[in-house]
Amino acid sequence: MIEALFEGLILVLQWKALAFMLLGILLGFWVGLLPGLGGATTLALMLPFIYTMQPVEAFAFLLGMHSVTATTGDITSVLFGVPGEAASAATILDGHAMAKKGEAGRALGAVLASSLVGAIVGAFALAIAIPVVRPLVLTFGSPELFMLAIVGLAFIASLSSHGGRGMLRGFLAGGLGLFLATVGQDPQAGVARFTLDTLYLWQGLDLVPVLVGLFAIPEIIDLVVRGTSIAGTLPAGKLSKGAFEGVKDTFRHFGLTIRCSLIGTFIGIMPGMGGAVAQWMAYGHATQSARNAEERKGFGAGDVRGVLGPGAANNSKEGGSLIPTIAFGVPGSTAMAILLGGFFLLGLVPGPDMLTRHLPVTFSMVWTIVLANVVTVLVCFLFLNKLAKLTTVRGTLLVPVILVLVFIGSYTSNNHYGDIVVTLIFGGIGYLMVLGGWPRAPFVLGLVLGKIAENYLYISVARYEAAWLTRPVVLVLIAMAIAVILYPLYQSRRRTARA
Amino acid sequence: MHNKASLALAVAIMLVSGYGLFAASAWPWKAALFPLAIGIPLFCMAAAEALWVLFGATEAKGQAMEFQISSHPQRARRTAVAIAWMLGFFAAIVLLGFPIAVPLFVLLYLRLQGSEGWVLSIVITLAVWGVFYGLFDRLLHLPFPDGWLLAWLGFSS
Repeated sequence: MIEALFEGLILVLQWKALAFMLLGILLGFWVGLLPGLGGATTLALMLPFIYTMQPVEAFAFLLGMHSVTATTGDITSVLFGVPGEAASAATILDGHAMAKKGEAGRALGAVLASSLVGAIVGAFALAIAIPVVRPLVLTFGSPELFMLAIVGLAFIASLSSHGGRGMLRGFLAGGLGLFLATVGQDPQAGVARFTLDTLYLWQGLDLVPVLVGLFAIPEIIDLVVRGTSIAGTLPAGKLSKGAFEGVKDTFRHFGLTIRCSLIGTFIGIMPGMGGAVAQWMAYGHATQSARNAEERKGFGAGDVRGVLGPGAANNSKEGGSLIPTIAFGVPGSTAMAILLGGFFLLGLVPGPDMLTRHLPVTFSMVWTIVLANVVTVLVCFLFLNKLAKLTTVRGTLLVPVILVLVFIGSYTSNNHYGDIVVTLIFGGIGYLMVLGGWPRAPFVLGLVLGKIAENYLYISVARYEAAWLTRPVVLVLIAMAIAVILYPLYQSRRRTARA
Repeated sequence: MHNKASLALAVAIMLVSGYGLFAASAWPWKAALFPLAIGIPLFCMAAAEALWVLFGATEAKGQAMEFQISSHPQRARRTAVAIAWMLGFFAAIVLLGFPIAVPLFVLLYLRLQGSEGWVLSIVITLAVWGVFYGLFDRLLHLPFPDGWLLAWLGFSS
């Protein structure tokens, strides 16, 4: 095993593989920065180019590209409040709030350093988990996966707001997300649900236009209302000091970063969950690290822990989602499904062979994830202070450029004007949610999990009828969901009684 | 303002979920299971929130872990201006197509809204158009259709 580990490193460091990895990183860097163009789309676009490559070169190219989109996607989230891709949205809540306080450098430093830690943890998990992950994945059937989605939603709904009223709004937002996920053709009976007689809605609401609208439009409106730069009228010079402070923050809250990395890895292993879920779950966990109510109020207003958690989880999920892809040929996400196509193009069959005969190739993937993230983070640090200074540029200069990016990013999701209409509508909803004090995180998680949850619920009911509710792991997850809902209420009541 | 926005959202959710429940009642159970399972509690929670806003004693502001919209004496007017620019940009895209709407919007925004000088406005407009044309059109070959107005006038390619 150790021999294969080093053989994998040597394979990646061969000049051709290294050159392809650097090319992939370069592409992934820009793709991550552009809203709308996700890592999965780029993987699909680049797949035809790997025909003539050796397996190690091909995976260095594809994985190098894919693993950095998650890192650079966070940069636009922090600087402009525009998610580079769906999996970068959670970073906005505290990352962009920090940028507005003049701490863009610190937020970028924190998100990059935590991304690196997350990538290493994910890669490490990939390296050691393959032999032990099989029983874990096999324990989770459709009923357990449905309940896992519900626990995730309960978790974020109860933690993203304060008190009973806040929790009600959290569940309302989550429920609305789940409900809107049913738009489109129903996968079981083929019924067109809530499509308003338009062909565009048959495939459901695309996540990118929804997220771009929900998060970017309220920020743009706020920028126009304030009439200043993103960082407001803060004294010059404060921005450049923060980058290494952000790195220090990562190590100051190292336990949290590691825990969120592990959450990301676990979510990555679970089929269909994806990066957006991993980020929001990690954000929910980060908010739990607040020691009291006052500290919890800091989340959403620029608490660095709200940046570290999503940053770490977003990158660690890459290693996690590779585990079922390599070991069983079961892709954990859309991107992994495309990567699986790459396996077949190269004549590799996922499964036992990848853990025996092709083990060095498997380890070369581990090293690619680590090296690609190290290179990206180092390159980003060279430009970090310059990037942070973008938050001092006049709002009137930034708004048209951001709006162009938002509209093009949204349009490129399906190359349909309907994408822009969806962005504008959800921009309005996002603005009302912020104005009314409703959390947006549960809404996003509901929308992401809706389709998966519906499929798993249908299979559970069709296969087990009501008996799926009595399965041991389901019972444990139900208890967890109830505890997640009741614990904050109990805490709040105890605090009131003490006061 | 917080309560008005919250009431608007709660009522909108009641209407959407109410319509959803009505529509789902006509579908086969396979298609209706999930919308019903989510729609019923959603309608009840939205009704509770609406009643809370209407009859509750306290204003529930700042309870979410979210940024707060900036307070500004001209907030309503400036919000309306921002929305008007967005809708105008969308109208320009539909009528003229992306290749014309993008530089036109950037130049007009910088000149009219930002009161920027001609030189800076033209430089930024050219830079944005260059990125748009070079990256999205030439490199990625994304299909940007001609505007409806151009097609109607017979100028489409």
